[in-house]
Amino acid sequence: METIRNALDFSDFPRLDLTVAGAVSIAFVVFPLFPHSAFAMATMIQFLMFSLYGMGWNTIGGYGGQVDLGKAQYVGIGAYTTAVMLIRWDVPFWVSMPIGMCLAVGWSFIIGYPLFRLKGHYFAIATIASTLVLKDIFEVWGFVGAARGLEISPIKYNPPDFLRLIFRDDIYYFYTILGFFFLGIFYINWFRKSRLGFQLRSIKDNEDVARSLGINVHWAKVKTYAIATAFVSMVGSFHACYIKSIEPEDTMSLDISILIALMAMLGGAGSLWGPIIGAGILIPLKSYLKEWLGAQAGLVGIDLIIYAGIIMLISAFEPRGIWGIVEKIRRRTRS
Amino acid sequence: MRSIFRFSMLVFGLLAMAGLLAPTGALGVKEVKIGVIYPLTGGAAAAGRELRAGVELATKIANGVMADLPMTMAQNSGIKNLGGAKIKLIFKDHEGNPTLGADLAKKLILDDKVDGILGCYFSSVTKTVSAVCEQYNVPMINASSTSPALTKRGLKWFWRTTPHDKWFTKDLFELLKGLTEGKVQGVKAVPKKEIKNLASACEKTEWGSHVSGLIKEFAKEYGFKLRKSFLYAAKSADLSSEVRSLKASRADVMLFASYTSDAILMVKTLKAQKAHPKVIWGQDAGFEKPEFRSTLGDSISGILTRTVFLPKVVEIKKLAGQVNALYKKKTGNDLGGASARAFTGLQTWVAVLEKAGSTKPADIQAAANAIYIPGKELVVPWKGIKFSTSGDELGQNILGSGLIGQYQKGKDGKISLEIVYPFDVSSADMIFPFAGF
Repeated sequence: METIRNALDFSDFPRLDLTVAGAVSIAFVVFPLFPHSAFAMATMIQFLMFSLYGMGWNTIGGYGGQVDLGKAQYVGIGAYTTAVMLIRWDVPFWVSMPIGMCLAVGWSFIIGYPLFRLKGHYFAIATIASTLVLKDIFEVWGFVGAARGLEISPIKYNPPDFLRLIFRDDIYYFYTILGFFFLGIFYINWFRKSRLGFQLRSIKDNEDVARSLGINVHWAKVKTYAIATAFVSMVGSFHACYIKSIEPEDTMSLDISILIALMAMLGGAGSLWGPIIGAGILIPLKSYLKEWLGAQAGLVGIDLIIYAGIIMLISAFEPRGIWGIVEKIRRRTRS
Repeated sequence: MRSIFRFSMLVFGLLAMAGLLAPTGALGVKEVKIGVIYPLTGGAAAAGRELRAGVELATKIANGVMADLPMTMAQNSGIKNLGGAKIKLIFKDHEGNPTLGADLAKKLILDDKVDGILGCYFSSVTKTVSAVCEQYNVPMINASSTSPALTKRGLKWFWRTTPHDKWFTKDLFELLKGLTEGKVQGVKAVPKKEIKNLASACEKTEWGSHVSGLIKEFAKEYGFKLRKSFLYAAKSADLSSEVRSLKASRADVMLFASYTSDAILMVKTLKAQKAHPKVIWGQDAGFEKPEFRSTLGDSISGILTRTVFLPKVVEIKKLAGQVNALYKKKTGNDLGGASARAFTGLQTWVAVLEKAGSTKPADIQAAANAIYIPGKELVVPWKGIKFSTSGDELGQNILGSGLIGQYQKGKDGKISLEIVYPFDVSSADMIFPFAGF
């Protein structure tokens, strides 16, 4: 009960933040009721997915200060668990998703325990390496379709199938991922005020001091890594049902790992709203720049140059991301 | 009251006359929108440009009249059975990303209201896009994805004009067999032990991994020994360890399935490490792109690639020569396997729409299932286009065929592709063994 109360308690945020967050939440809920394009809907779903990936990354990367560039392996574990269980044994999404989360968490303990003996750049490199190794294994593992991956048949199921999460219209996927999105916010709100949350922040500030205070630094990192993993794996399961076709090169690529970290860092690592802001800017920016300046306009590649330029500008202006800019403005206004 | 009644009658009368006098075409279809999804940025951007140019040229011919071209679509302006409706292309760039491809397909179908889709080159993207089309009952024609699995899924809204990799890989082994039997033009029978050891390196998405599997299958069937077989990432910035592994296998024949940038990098690395197999063969794609030739220059002399179109085809097919001239005028390059197939894909769309006489999906579906385009109307050297409507390869064109070409230096000092397989249409003696870099 105490946990639920903590999760729903946002009273430490300024009223302005809560007003904006409330208005945005209502806008998300009613978004499908207003005229919208299929492209806008697909962009919204991508945004929500990457917000959740970012929230997961933010626990270990933002609050814990451990730069993890290997999250794609857990996207893959979630996606493959759901796809394999559905295709081979017709197991519904709502059963396979938690199983995928458990498998991913189990794998995260195996990977995380030795990896957290490393620090800084070495840890980041090791996370990349572990993803590449797992991806290579999946690419030759016949049981999971090897490099060709798996496809959830587009003709076998009758949409809407709420048990298997097979829909034709994206509105169902939107509300499903929106539900996960709100649950994710509540969970992270609880997490940041939990004992583990405080331990992590002290580890981030000064690991030796944290250790001298009696915090089991290594174990706190491993546990948080598992929490981050569960988030990412959950969205991975959703991804499998949404796209209906997964392959290692698409699901477990280094690009995904970097994008996840980039969204959270650019939005503002270590803050509740940071990953959401990062995804909210980068996902629509990339999609719509491509739409306006891409193939049809005959300006192929210009969209990518502008996209990269904006990322570099934000990073150069405020390394703590967009949330850092907001806080800077706030401090100036107060003083 | 009476005056109001009279006024109403007058208005209705005028409206009725306007309706009768209006040309019937005004109520018909003005344009047919085809969504075209290709990789226009990223590692396969060069292929994307070629595909786009092929489709645009076919559209220009279909929307205008070019009476001297012996093909039905060049004789009419627009789609004749749709009141001369013009083809309008809406291009999208999938970047080689299957997830993005699926989102773009939804956009084309739901927002742009396209009548059909053409694409996507990458088999992995074609898989997700065709699944979206199947969900929304929107017809999709694929002209250049060759993973055999694509037409084995029982889809009812997906048709593929190009032959697939099973046929192409079989062609390769027929060529190797022909080498041992003395069937290859300009080469005496080679003892099998001299070319028995094979090694393959294929990029690791849907397409490459399937080709790798097929090479294993056929090597066994034809009695060759596959000493090394692995997959690699097409985006790799360095392939030196892969090439070391190939060299260590001491293979006589090296086989590749690569996209453009990795095909170039692979050959550069083979050259740098002084690899010297007797045969180097590429499964089309990167090995056939103009950039492959322009970047690597003379060093590719002797390398083989499978394809469905070579500039030499113009010597045996007048239509191919005419279209090639138009394409060269537009791009500065000859038609290649990708552009010729993209051209044929759009041509198939036009033929299907002519036969359907409607843009209703069900009519297009029925027309596609019944269509027959004779080989004489195509730029590619196939017997024609006719889609399978039963069995385990629904929607596959059953009249396609492949070619194997070899890069050779001509008398003018330029590198060009000569046909070496099928043996009966060979355009030059095959260079065997590969002379080295």
